[in-house]
Amino acid sequence: MTEENYISAYQQKKHRKNIFLILTICLLIIIMFMISMGTGFIRLTPIELVRTLFGMGTDKQNIILFDFRLPRIVISILVGMALAVSGSILQGVSRNALADPGILGINSGAGLAVMLFISFFPTTTAAPVFFLPILAFVGAGATAILIYVLAYKRGEGISPTRLLLTGVAVAAGISAAMIVLTLRLSPENYQFVAIWMAGSIWGSNWSFVLALLPWILILLPIAYSKARVLNTFNLGEIPATGLGLAIEKERLILLAIAVGLAGASVSVSGGIGFIGLIAPHLARQLVGAKHQYLLPTAALIGSLLLITADTIGRWILQPSEIPAGIVVAVIGAPYFLYLLARSKT
Amino acid sequence: MSVLTVDHVAVGYTNTVIIEELSAAIPEKKITTIIGPNGCGKSTLLKAIARILKTQNGAIFLDGRAIQQVSTKEIAKKMAILPQSAEAPSGLTIFELVSYGRFPHQRGFGTLKKEDLQHIHWAIEVTGLGELRDRPVEALSGGQRQRVWIAMALAQDTEILILDEPTTYLDLAHQLDILLLLKKLNEEEGKTIVMVLHDLNHASRFSHYMIAMKDGKIITEGKPEKVMKSENLKAVFDINAILMTCPFSQNPICLSYQLNKETECLLQTC
Repeated sequence: MTEENYISAYQQKKHRKNIFLILTICLLIIIMFMISMGTGFIRLTPIELVRTLFGMGTDKQNIILFDFRLPRIVISILVGMALAVSGSILQGVSRNALADPGILGINSGAGLAVMLFISFFPTTTAAPVFFLPILAFVGAGATAILIYVLAYKRGEGISPTRLLLTGVAVAAGISAAMIVLTLRLSPENYQFVAIWMAGSIWGSNWSFVLALLPWILILLPIAYSKARVLNTFNLGEIPATGLGLAIEKERLILLAIAVGLAGASVSVSGGIGFIGLIAPHLARQLVGAKHQYLLPTAALIGSLLLITADTIGRWILQPSEIPAGIVVAVIGAPYFLYLLARSKT
Repeated sequence: MSVLTVDHVAVGYTNTVIIEELSAAIPEKKITTIIGPNGCGKSTLLKAIARILKTQNGAIFLDGRAIQQVSTKEIAKKMAILPQSAEAPSGLTIFELVSYGRFPHQRGFGTLKKEDLQHIHWAIEVTGLGELRDRPVEALSGGQRQRVWIAMALAQDTEILILDEPTTYLDLAHQLDILLLLKKLNEEEGKTIVMVLHDLNHASRFSHYMIAMKDGKIITEGKPEKVMKSENLKAVFDINAILMTCPFSQNPICLSYQLNKETECLLQTC
């Protein structure tokens, strides 16, 4: 019997279908990328856009495109990916489709750390830009550890429901702390923090892209290499143990990846929730539960969602802007409720 | 050649010790069934053997090495576990779920190699799921689903299979169906099978070796003829059983039984 016979025609068809879906989402991202470049307070027509891209634009067009819009679009793509993969990992490890770095309070933890820094060292220079992801990672990590410790029960480990409930409680606590903190901010800093907290992609310059990029380039491939481990986690703890998965060790590694991705995203984009919830869920509907397909699909859907949300936010109430986080929340909150109503537990 | 021995093991949960001290040897290439009343520690023993529960004292040896000292992946190449109520994640086909059984043999990104595919194919065929391989797992009946989990354990390519109540929730015919499959795997593939069963007659009919437990201790163990005696069943389950020989398999079976208390009442009124 040849190798081909072991893989049924159905399996091959499914593989081709999944690849096709992934390519389609890529295409949609490219289309959205084009639209997004032209959208904003100052419109760029497609012709102007092409001219500017090829170095024939006016100074003003150059500044708008290369210094403001492009870094912002690139950041939404990266952040969307990071949040979606972070959410996929959290959902896989906790076996709970409602887990998401926003809901679990990891985003708030990162936000609190960044906010503490901003309120005590108010500065807008580029120097702390590279420092912010690390700060956010520390905040996200501390929150994750806190949630983990609170949700952990000796002998039983972490139950998905406990993890979720603890996360929600911790997130509420941190949000309260952040509100208290905003009271002692100067008006200018308050303005800045408020916009940032709402999830505006505020880092509209290339240094933010550079600060975020290494995290993505390192953590995403590691996450993908754990696809097999995530598949096994999905079976539940006992079957996973039986299959020889070192549960405690792998869970810690995966949580660290999820926290790193969420923390780095929050440090440049503020509190964007729901991407980590919606993207993995949509991806699961499209390509199934195997993480070899699920992770890349979720990442791309995350990018598409965020780039779309950011474009809508820039376009809908011109000349003012709505932070992308709010646009996402407007779609995400009902989706979360829908998932909640549908879930069995 | 895998040999499984339990050596002076104490095991339990955080605050309760279920088994204080227990030793047993699982015969190689045989079907061993653990029986006993609810809460006697049979599932606990199985979980300890499967390294899901850590032993608080003593050790469990696989091929002469304590399982706590061997990497969990190494053990997974020798011993597969079927939990009592496993729930498959939604959106997986039978082929995909069975392919997860190759986990301990894979590295890196988990692309299925030819050897993996061969094992998956064989596991699906031997459990009679060939026709259904591309169906989603959630669309299957209880009996078929149990077969899928067995197929996953088979794809793991281990010498030992551990099953916790594999026939629970199945109707009579499907119970027998699963047990016959296990018997076939034992006879044709030489698998060592260790399981917990509630049905004494099934245990007697399909096991080479039986271990009867009560209160975390082994009351008696041996061939079904030795274990299935009315005095043993009285000691283990507190029942008075009428035993006879099964016309199909010539093993001792329990025709009917009464609670011990009941019998005493009857005797008194008589």
